[in-house]
Amino acid sequence: MSTEVESYKIQKMVELLAPKLTRQVVGSLVGCVHCGMCHETCHYVMTHPDDPKMTPSYKADQLRKLFKRHYDWTGRVFPGWVGAKPPTRDVDLDELKDIAFGTCTNCRRCTFNCPMGVDTATLNRIMRGLLTQVGVMPEGVRVVSKDTWELGNQMGVLKEDYVETLEWLSEELVMELDDERATIPIDKVGANIVYTINPREVKYDPRTISEAALIFYAAAEDWTMPSWGWDQTNFGLFSGDDAMGAASYRHLQEKNAELGSQRLVISECGHGYRSTRCEGPNWSKTDQDFVMESSVMTMLRYIKEGRIVVDKTKNSDPVTFHDSCNNARSCGFYEEPRELLKLVCTDFQEMYPNRTENYCCTGGGGAMSMSEYTPRRLVSAKVKADQIAETGAKVVVTSCHNCVDGLGDLIRHYKLDCQVKQLVHLVANALVLEECAISKIPKEKPVPEPVPEPVQEPVVIPVEIPADRVKIADALSGRRILIVEDEEDTRIFLATLLQDAGAVTLEAVDGDEAIATARAEKPDLITLDLSMPGKDGVEAFIEIRNDPDIRDIPVCIVTGHPEFRKVIYDRPVRPPEGYMDKPVIEEDLVANLRRILETSRAEGS
Amino acid sequence: MEAHGVHYAIEVIHWVALGVMALVYVLRLLWLFKFKNFRDRQAPGENGDTTNWPALYSLGNVVMPWAMESTRKRPFFYVTFVIFHLGVVAGIFLAFISSLNRPFLEEPVVASIFMIILAAAFLVSVGRILRRLLRPVMRLISTPDDYFCLSLLTVWFGSGVLAEAHISGHLHSEWYLTIYLALTSFFLLYVPFSKISHYLYYPFTRFWIGQTLGHRGSMPASRG
Ligand code: SF4
Ligand code: SF4
Repeated sequence: MSTEVESYKIQKMVELLAPKLTRQVVGSLVGCVHCGMCHETCHYVMTHPDDPKMTPSYKADQLRKLFKRHYDWTGRVFPGWVGAKPPTRDVDLDELKDIAFGTCTNCRRCTFNCPMGVDTATLNRIMRGLLTQVGVMPEGVRVVSKDTWELGNQMGVLKEDYVETLEWLSEELVMELDDERATIPIDKVGANIVYTINPREVKYDPRTISEAALIFYAAAEDWTMPSWGWDQTNFGLFSGDDAMGAASYRHLQEKNAELGSQRLVISECGHGYRSTRCEGPNWSKTDQDFVMESSVMTMLRYIKEGRIVVDKTKNSDPVTFHDSCNNARSCGFYEEPRELLKLVCTDFQEMYPNRTENYCCTGGGGAMSMSEYTPRRLVSAKVKADQIAETGAKVVVTSCHNCVDGLGDLIRHYKLDCQVKQLVHLVANALVLEECAISKIPKEKPVPEPVPEPVQEPVVIPVEIPADRVKIADALSGRRILIVEDEEDTRIFLATLLQDAGAVTLEAVDGDEAIATARAEKPDLITLDLSMPGKDGVEAFIEIRNDPDIRDIPVCIVTGHPEFRKVIYDRPVRPPEGYMDKPVIEEDLVANLRRILETSRAEGS
Repeated sequence: MEAHGVHYAIEVIHWVALGVMALVYVLRLLWLFKFKNFRDRQAPGENGDTTNWPALYSLGNVVMPWAMESTRKRPFFYVTFVIFHLGVVAGIFLAFISSLNRPFLEEPVVASIFMIILAAAFLVSVGRILRRLLRPVMRLISTPDDYFCLSLLTVWFGSGVLAEAHISGHLHSEWYLTIYLALTSFFLLYVPFSKISHYLYYPFTRFWIGQTLGHRGSMPASRG
């Protein structure tokens, strides 16, 4: 390094770059001929045609300048001539941050379209890593990184909350199936499979855990979930912090070794699969020494081996498939989900382009945690929205939790008439339990309980509950729930839904009324909209949390503004117990509220 | 000085320039290989290929315009790319064959082929300069070196046409060839220090990306 830089941080970045310079990275740094071939392949370019700064090579040039100026002698001798003029002041770092985090989802589409084989996405990730290491990063990345380091998972889920949620889900499943074998085993040593998940599943989508458990049960699998080292996602991939990437991967690696399992199964998550299966061994500098697979492979294997039997007619809506960029472009994993999909649904429509040419959901690269870039992200999502609309599908299936959020967001924004599902939903829904492996294993006979004296029951005429409501009925029996919602239609919908589930509902139309009703009625739970006239949901939430009389009432945010998530979670008060995006899926809302009530009760007792 | 004398001196210089270029290239490769090699430590992907096939496929994508969306959707650009690079090859051959086997270049058919290729490359090159100057995105990513290389090549292609015209007897002054050889010498000396050295890196960058992604299973790329 021969040149002086004004900023200490940039000097540090130059030093931190050295260990990242592999032959392959240097090849990408020196190989770009500025031909512009990658230009139109990026979804940011396609949706911001008048902004030349969206072009991939400009983004990669930010790192290239730094490299050329300090590591390539042509740049040291003739910096102006070869474009080796990196920023030198701290104030310039904010612009670098916006480029690296706000204009690229590291989707690698441009990489596949560069005739020189330049891996722009990797260069952008390196730039992110350098910035992160000198403390320049979006607030969301800072929060998630902190949670990852402190709590071992990227959503700050406490161990007790995680275990309680699993226990609750386990009890539910056992009850529903009336079979003790449906228990979710935790930390079982020597199980065939260790199942790892995305923290989003515990926090916002526990149904995916139940469904996976149901499938393992049906296949009579010997499986377990770890009490620690369960987060298969890895924010190091997004922040570019290899040390964090290595640490997060090691949690899984060590726990898997401790449990002595043969196979680590990764629930459907693109970045989780890539970080754990593909990059983890590289970051931690250890060769992969145990089998890792996506749950998609596991489910597919079960069907092929006849361990589970499915009836595809149970999923008859037109379905399309969105390839996660990490799965398809970085892990070569795109045929198996299609194979599985065709086995569990009747009407599959391909989306074009697809596989390694698919467009990003725009929620990749950690974009969902960087709310400052949401408006730009949603504009760039137009490409994906058009792609989905063209299929005419009612369901977009994806094997990625990140994509679920990204797609959900763009579906709401562009008002598309479809919903997002994962393969686990479809497989669980298509199961024919009575023909699966578990049905061939006799249940151990329970010790007979003393039979009570028969009591003459009054004759009750059974009320027919539609199949899709079976799970909803009575799920919230007797619970008093305060619905805070300014839109009348939505309020009535929520009230009807919760009443159908057996709850007693109270209603408030703004923040002031919500606080007054909560103080007067002390409900068991509050569902809180955020965007309301007068005192909005954020203010009301803070006031509730600061009032000793009502601060313990669990709150579930139900909002049409997912970008407010950060606003809420950044407040110096206890975070909400739940957070759901509108429009809500009825079953999900009821299941989530039930989980919140159950786990809050367990905590309270 | 007589054109013949200058011509002779330039011929010597352009062979020396070739030697210097080769030397700097070797140094560049040594420099590149000084950096540590990346080894994908993960087990091969479910669809991964641990042979060299994906890397070779990746290397061959230059002749497979269907392999990438960026070339598949822009056939005209691809054609201009081919012409441009054929022009470079023709130009280099012209310079060296003119001193090794001049009668070969005097053959009317050979002369016509060289002139057509170089003239087409000249036109493409002019088009590329305009593209770089007129499109905001190209202006944004271009360095002075990018403009200079393109201008140098454009002039070189143009002068190549004139040099071949001289060799095949259409133009009489020896200066056409002398200037062309002088430009070639400068070109050879400048290339390893400029972005034109990309063709030195090209085989490696393409091989490596094919190797890494092939190991994981996403190269050759797939679309349905
Ligand atoms: S990254 Fe590749 S495609 Fe893009 S400008 Fe550079 S060489 Fe061309
Ligand atoms: S990696 Fe994706 S988002 Fe980033 S520049 Fe390339 S195509 Fe655009």
